[in-house]
Amino acid sequence: MAINISNQKNRDALVAFEAVMPVRNVHFVDEKGNAVETRRLLKTDIEHDLDSLLKKRKSLSAISKALIKEDPEIDINAFGMFLTDTSKVYVSKKGIIHLVDEVEVVSNPDGSLRERRSRKKEAQNVNTDVPLRWTGKFIKKEDAAHRFVFTHKRQLIHVNGLTFDFLYDMAKELHERNSFLIVRGGEKGDKPIVMHRGGLQYNAFLEGRIKDDEYLLILQLSNIELKRPKEISSES
Amino acid sequence: MLSLDGEEFSVQLTKIDREDLYGSVEVEAFDEKGNPAQLLVLASDGKTLLNKGGTALATLDKNGNSVERNTLKPVNMEGVEIDTVESSFGVSNKLKVADIDDYLSQVVKSIYILDPVEDGDIKFLLDHLSSGLIYAFPFSYRGGTEYDNAFVIGNKDDAFMIIGKQARFQFAKLNQAAHLDAMEEEEISGDDIDFDLL
Repeated sequence: MAINISNQKNRDALVAFEAVMPVRNVHFVDEKGNAVETRRLLKTDIEHDLDSLLKKRKSLSAISKALIKEDPEIDINAFGMFLTDTSKVYVSKKGIIHLVDEVEVVSNPDGSLRERRSRKKEAQNVNTDVPLRWTGKFIKKEDAAHRFVFTHKRQLIHVNGLTFDFLYDMAKELHERNSFLIVRGGEKGDKPIVMHRGGLQYNAFLEGRIKDDEYLLILQLSNIELKRPKEISSES
Repeated sequence: MLSLDGEEFSVQLTKIDREDLYGSVEVEAFDEKGNPAQLLVLASDGKTLLNKGGTALATLDKNGNSVERNTLKPVNMEGVEIDTVESSFGVSNKLKVADIDDYLSQVVKSIYILDPVEDGDIKFLLDHLSSGLIYAFPFSYRGGTEYDNAFVIGNKDDAFMIIGKQARFQFAKLNQAAHLDAMEEEEISGDDIDFDLL
């Protein structure tokens, strides 16, 4: 994935933007010591779930008898097939639908209704004509660590010699400041980061580290503060 | 049970997430006639529809045969069989001072708030955390093949435990350094940032 980001001089560049995976120190082998793999299979479909069986058999006791007699919950031709290239679709009683009216039901932390509103899918803003902005707003690393939880991370990596300089420069400044830079998107540079259309919004903080002539530039993403929810009292 | 500077104390963990702090958003869908619709998974055959719980994971050997999970052996990167680890509950977990960069390099799995058990006290822990120190220990909820990293960190009032795994970062290298230009800058407070992004 690419990210369009501007630097301290308000120059922008397209660079690589990679997901960060956790280090795995353990894997599994079979009894002969050979590697194994995990695949996703079809276990059941909606034609064979309880609701569908109930429509056909009318009562739970009738289903119980049928389960013993003829296995109506299993399609031996389909179940167990590998699932690849699946997609998500909306289904109403008319079948698969393409015109969908989506409503967001927003609830407060205590579960009470805050509002109902039409769903608005924000466009992604990490790779558009408008670069993510070097806001010039910094927060000390220690302060950020004790106030926010950085639930997601992405690494920025150069794509050529010019962008190596571009990114190294950013990392160096952040390293020397021992600070995160707040990064914003949108025309006015005031929007949280959205990585794909309709995706979650994150407050983004750029962290830079350097080691000799190497750099590490991480976009630290947070959508939660480090604080006690009101519903969880320290007395409880 | 946590152990810090020779002092042991019990804590109770309460898992917290975004919904606990800011609320939640659920999406309801309707077709053009107002009938409720549900989001399902369509298989690649274009006709099989499945709901949550309609899939299963199978473990296969190199020939594609199904393998029972209880016959698998956990090995390290050198292929050497490893011992399983115990659950961190019921044993004393020694807290060691952690480096902030290690903490910030975690891929976060879960967040807990720490409270004293009934008639207990974690003032000793809170006092240590108030200096800004972060502590770490290896953590496993139920036991298993390997530990996660648990970082104990405080805000001004409370103690939290962040569970995660070390991220696979790699420093990027090329043979040139750059020089910096000054620009208008500003130190800001965390209070200036809005987290209620519903």
